[in-house]
Amino acid sequence: MKYNEYKIQHFLSDEFFIQWVVSPDDDNKHFWEKWLSEHPEKRKTVQSAAAIIKAIRYKKNLELSDKTYIDTFENIIKHDHSETDRLQKKSSSSWYIFFSMRKIAASIFIGLICWLGYSVISKSTEEPALTSEISYTTKKNPFGKKSMITLSEGTVIYLNAGSEIKYPREFSDSSRNVTLTGEAFFEVKKDGRPFIVKTDNKIIHVLGTSFNVNQSYTGDVSVALVSGKVRINDELGNQVLLDPKEMLVMKADGGFYKTEFDPLEIIGWKDKHLIFNRNTFEEVKMKIEKWYGVEVKLKGKIKPGWTYTGAYENETLENVLEGIKLTSGFNYKINNKTITISTY
Amino acid sequence: MTNSTKNQNNQTVILIEHAEAVKQYEKKPDIEIWAAFNRGDEKAFNYIYRFHATAMFEFGIQITNDIGVVQDCIQNIFIYLRRKRGELKEVHSIKAYLFKSLQREIIRKLNKIKSNESKNIDSFEDSFQIELSHETKLIQLEIETEKTLLIEDALNKLTTRQRQAILLLYKEGMSYKEIAEVLEFSEVKSARKLIYRALDSIKSIIETKMFGSHK
Repeated sequence: MKYNEYKIQHFLSDEFFIQWVVSPDDDNKHFWEKWLSEHPEKRKTVQSAAAIIKAIRYKKNLELSDKTYIDTFENIIKHDHSETDRLQKKSSSSWYIFFSMRKIAASIFIGLICWLGYSVISKSTEEPALTSEISYTTKKNPFGKKSMITLSEGTVIYLNAGSEIKYPREFSDSSRNVTLTGEAFFEVKKDGRPFIVKTDNKIIHVLGTSFNVNQSYTGDVSVALVSGKVRINDELGNQVLLDPKEMLVMKADGGFYKTEFDPLEIIGWKDKHLIFNRNTFEEVKMKIEKWYGVEVKLKGKIKPGWTYTGAYENETLENVLEGIKLTSGFNYKINNKTITISTY
Repeated sequence: MTNSTKNQNNQTVILIEHAEAVKQYEKKPDIEIWAAFNRGDEKAFNYIYRFHATAMFEFGIQITNDIGVVQDCIQNIFIYLRRKRGELKEVHSIKAYLFKSLQREIIRKLNKIKSNESKNIDSFEDSFQIELSHETKLIQLEIETEKTLLIEDALNKLTTRQRQAILLLYKEGMSYKEIAEVLEFSEVKSARKLIYRALDSIKSIIETKMFGSHK
């Protein structure tokens, strides 16, 4: 039977047609688009068949959780280690599970190191105590306070207001992992071990470099690179490499894009530069609240499309509010930790 | 707390590893990936796990509601395959091979629990129920919800095996050859016939329901 004699059930059973609908590639796309343009009378039938194919799914809809994904994987790997261990020696069960867990950790780290072209697999395979007891330090800044942290190996972290960072008292021999909530600027000391920043399921992987990570209040995460090279992985397996002067913005809805950035605007905060660049009122409010640790209230209405641009270096709250008043005509009142801005 | 952080770091590392493996293998044909796995290449294994574990789980829970059983079976299959590295046979479609193994393993396990003998998927009457998502395309084509429900109803009146074949064909995007493997048919044409017969029995509903309002 020829395609132009096809009825809907014929399209629905044609492998080549289904392939075009389910996983289009250059070949099948070229063929079917051309064929359709030559047979416009078949368009409706083809669309209906494609719609049915695309709509069909399992009624029972349950996804494998990240935890189960990881647990199952670890169980599988653990199993072939425990097999060999059992053959070698009859040790107590808790010992060999512990032992094999360590080997897994070691082999995975070795994978990472190889990828980076480094060869610092020195003493990591002896003492089991290494991975078992890690104590962590957590540094947290409230709104209105910024801080600078120097880690034991020399990395410097500028932690912005309203942000938190967690890191082990001592890094392992194979990698340096920190967990960030909020915003921080990193000047990573190059020492052969990868430096990994984890934030909100995004993983930023670096070696000797300086960059800014910002998890905004809307849930977006952006990484701006000043020097060196960083690699970002998300939970879906996406991976992006950044070059200096590039910024990656990962939206809360999963989309992401690369862009250039103005260093003063993005990382000026660490040198006490408060920058507004065509910011909406909501953004201005957030920045002031975070910077000065105050609460901003609005009386009246903001004209649609209103934005504010201005730059301040190490200024008092009053001076910033004066500056905004000057260009926008807003009035303000400071009452302890509460700022009231009125638009009339 | 220390423990959970440690686990988190481990997870992070595993996820990075798996993303790496995907990058290296995503364009390669299955036969090559399988051969690398058989040689003991851990990255090839990571890729296979990363790429298929989620789909296997989704497929497995269509057979049984017991999540624990599905998880155990997936685990056992991979443990078995890793132990057999070096002596594995050539595999052309990893997905079809894993789905077939999973279905076998789940049925074997369920039979052990319930001590009954049902080798055939058709005895699992509630398995592989189909849903037609009401969004996007169907709405654009002005096909109303009640019509999609009628089509859905007709699809769910098919035999379990027919429903399974339809899901493998459309949802999983498998070829007839792959479907034949999952369903353990010795000939590809049996898979074709199964689909033809299924479509034949719903074609009156599809045709009138899809086009009824446009005449």
